[in-house]
Amino acid sequence: MKIAVLMKRVPDTASVFKIGADNKSVETDNLKYVMSPYDEHALEEAIQTKEAGKADEVFVITVGPDAAKETIRTALAMGADRAVFVKDDAASDTNCKGTAMILAAALKTEAPELIFAGKQAVDDDASQVPERVAELLDIPHASVVTSFELNDGTALVEREIEGGHYKMEMALPALFTTQKGINTPRYPTLPNIMKAKKKEIKELTFADIGLSAADVASGVTIEEMALPRQDRLNKILDGDNDERVAQLLSVLREEEKVL
Amino acid sequence: MSDKLIDRRDLHFLLFEMFEVERLLEHEYYEDHSTTTFKLALDTAYQLAQELFWPSFSEFDKNPAYFDGEKTIVPESMHKIWAAFKEGGWFAASFAYEHGGQQFPGMVHLAALYMFNAGNTAASMYLGQATGAAQLIEGFGSESLKKVYMHKLFAGDWAGTMALTEPQAGTSLGDITTSATPVEGEDYYIIRGTKRFISSGDHDLTENIIHPTLAKIDGAPPGVKGISLFIVPKYRVNDDGSIGAPNDVITAGIERKLGLKGQATAELKFGENDECRGWLLGEPHCGLKYMFQLMNSARVHTGLQAIAQASTAYQCALQYAKERVQGREVTEHDPATPQIPIINHPEVRRMLLRQKAFIEGVVSLLIYCGALSDRLRVAGSKEEEDTCRALLEILTPVCKAYGSDVAYESIMLALQCYGGAGYIEEYPIAQILRDNRVFPIYEGTNEIQAMDLLGRKVAVDQGAYLRALMGEIAKTLAEAGTMDALGGQTGKVQEAMEAITEVTMHLAAIGLSGDHKTYISHATPYLRAFSQLVIAWQFLWQSVVAQRALDSDAGDATFYEGKIATAKYYIDAILPSTHTICHLIKSGEDSALNFKEEWFGATHPSVTA
Repeated sequence: MKIAVLMKRVPDTASVFKIGADNKSVETDNLKYVMSPYDEHALEEAIQTKEAGKADEVFVITVGPDAAKETIRTALAMGADRAVFVKDDAASDTNCKGTAMILAAALKTEAPELIFAGKQAVDDDASQVPERVAELLDIPHASVVTSFELNDGTALVEREIEGGHYKMEMALPALFTTQKGINTPRYPTLPNIMKAKKKEIKELTFADIGLSAADVASGVTIEEMALPRQDRLNKILDGDNDERVAQLLSVLREEEKVL
Repeated sequence: MSDKLIDRRDLHFLLFEMFEVERLLEHEYYEDHSTTTFKLALDTAYQLAQELFWPSFSEFDKNPAYFDGEKTIVPESMHKIWAAFKEGGWFAASFAYEHGGQQFPGMVHLAALYMFNAGNTAASMYLGQATGAAQLIEGFGSESLKKVYMHKLFAGDWAGTMALTEPQAGTSLGDITTSATPVEGEDYYIIRGTKRFISSGDHDLTENIIHPTLAKIDGAPPGVKGISLFIVPKYRVNDDGSIGAPNDVITAGIERKLGLKGQATAELKFGENDECRGWLLGEPHCGLKYMFQLMNSARVHTGLQAIAQASTAYQCALQYAKERVQGREVTEHDPATPQIPIINHPEVRRMLLRQKAFIEGVVSLLIYCGALSDRLRVAGSKEEEDTCRALLEILTPVCKAYGSDVAYESIMLALQCYGGAGYIEEYPIAQILRDNRVFPIYEGTNEIQAMDLLGRKVAVDQGAYLRALMGEIAKTLAEAGTMDALGGQTGKVQEAMEAITEVTMHLAAIGLSGDHKTYISHATPYLRAFSQLVIAWQFLWQSVVAQRALDSDAGDATFYEGKIATAKYYIDAILPSTHTICHLIKSGEDSALNFKEEWFGATHPSVTA
């Protein structure tokens, strides 16, 4: 069995973010990039599945600029067997929809039985790409998975839902997005770092997978970007003491729901 | 609390731009490596430092290591750190493939250790000694010793120590009394004696602990010439490699200390029941010589440990200074205006700058020493080998003593930036300060380092080591001399070099006159003046690299401008005291030497607390 892991290179959230002079983009000069943390869980689950003898191969797939190769090497050093890298300058002008089209097109020839992805990327937090990929490949998917068990041709998973868990069994091939808690991602080891150098990174362009820049263009125009305002939301209560106590209780009970 | 432990940009600058680690790739020994393997290893090291070492830092203070009467218990998280270190292959990272290593350059390994120590020094100490013991066995052990111990130590299956100090013999190793008695018809000796202040001396992290132990074979000559080195395991090892009977190494206790409390500093009793077996390493009576091969790298590492902690303290103080608002600009008289972050006050800014300069100067020297050991490994000629060795020899006391002295000063400044908040345990600085205080003491006190520099290293072969160093400094001066932007700093480093040369000649004359006591009484001031020249030279070299980057418009101008400004601060504001010190030495300042004991005042007989 072949497992694919969708991976995204994102700025480290510990970086200091600045809006560019055009007010429409983020300054990227001093950003440090890492693998999106939820994707680390996805990769770990794939590697553990292989280590349990239930899969033959784990490969990661990503779309991005040349520098994404660094993140791919990290994935290979963690234990992925190889990588598929769709590298096309036009990829920078796409969004969730286009990225999903690119990944789905590249995955069609690979035909993995199992696909893992992080539940969201920590840069845009859109939570769209994996689900779109599953739709485009016409396979079932389950999101925000906290427990995964592979049986003969099916997977038994637990999803996190509001206020509880949802247990379900699905037939493969299928796609799963991983939530924190499903596992503890491993650190690359030095021996695996040495091996990573020799592992295959298959580079593809849009043309190789039958797409054009126009197919995946985002069609979205960014009007403005701004950092969140950090104003404090103060509320001054009026009236005499009794009235203010009543108002305070009402706010704590009904609005803040802390009592 | 900052989650930033070190300035990774600066480390990248040193490794890749200044010491050009990628140039090692031309050599066969490093041919499997690439920029990628270096960067991945460094990224992973930082991740480990941040996610494993640093989160356990305060636990190591709150839950000190202790002896429960049967075994020594170390902080719980140490087990996790040991496992991750072993799993990651970090024990033998820079060692050869045949030892299970990955042949990483020494400077990359050193950079990784810098990060681990910035996260948690007491934890790093447990990890560092296994490979030290392995190196000794590799260098001087018989084939059978290698077979039994070496791979287990390189792999991190077993732990190691360095058992030198005894209750009555610390600095003066020639006076150790631990004895080794040969046993007729056996390959081992019976060891008897007490060793004290043994870092990682006992713990439950591994199934065995190997103590390279200094002892005197019965009838050996007195003093250091009678010291031999033995391998003494905590448990004997059976022929099939499995763990055998206890080897009569008894833990007498774990010290309660000012800092590094999670570190199990043990007093060990060897052979209380005459059952402690030790295997001789190499030739009899050569033990100290062997041990010093390890001591030299241990001394560089001590500087590294010290300055790594200073880095963490600085990063914490920097963040605090940017976030803590207090007071207003001196020119602002309206109390209704908002208060400003304290980093805007010149006094705070100076304290931060001084820390930054100490750290970036010393780290540069340490990575340079790593680069020298790498050059030594691939050296193409005897001449180059000799130069690398000479430089390492003369710079080791500077790394250890100056590194740990200014690290402590730097942490005091970090604490000062916090004001009252620095003095309470809510912030990590108080613990860092306590932990850090040992580094001017252990691995040979800084005073011993000063005597090693002036009494030995400077004097060797009519100043051969010193000439090698001055040659390197002259190269940098020549390069900087072609850059107008660095004119001011170049001249000042040149003057300091001349001052050191002159004072060394002055002292040499005293030494040659036979007045060794006066000569060596200047050791500590000399080390300070000498070290400041060395660090100023590193900064001038850094400035050359940074200026070149600025001239070529390589981007990241903020970093390079900050680098040159830091270098300028060190050369303009710290280096000048070198001249004062040299002046004092030449003027024959001899107060300490001739101050009579009775002038200190009477004391009562000592009472133990």
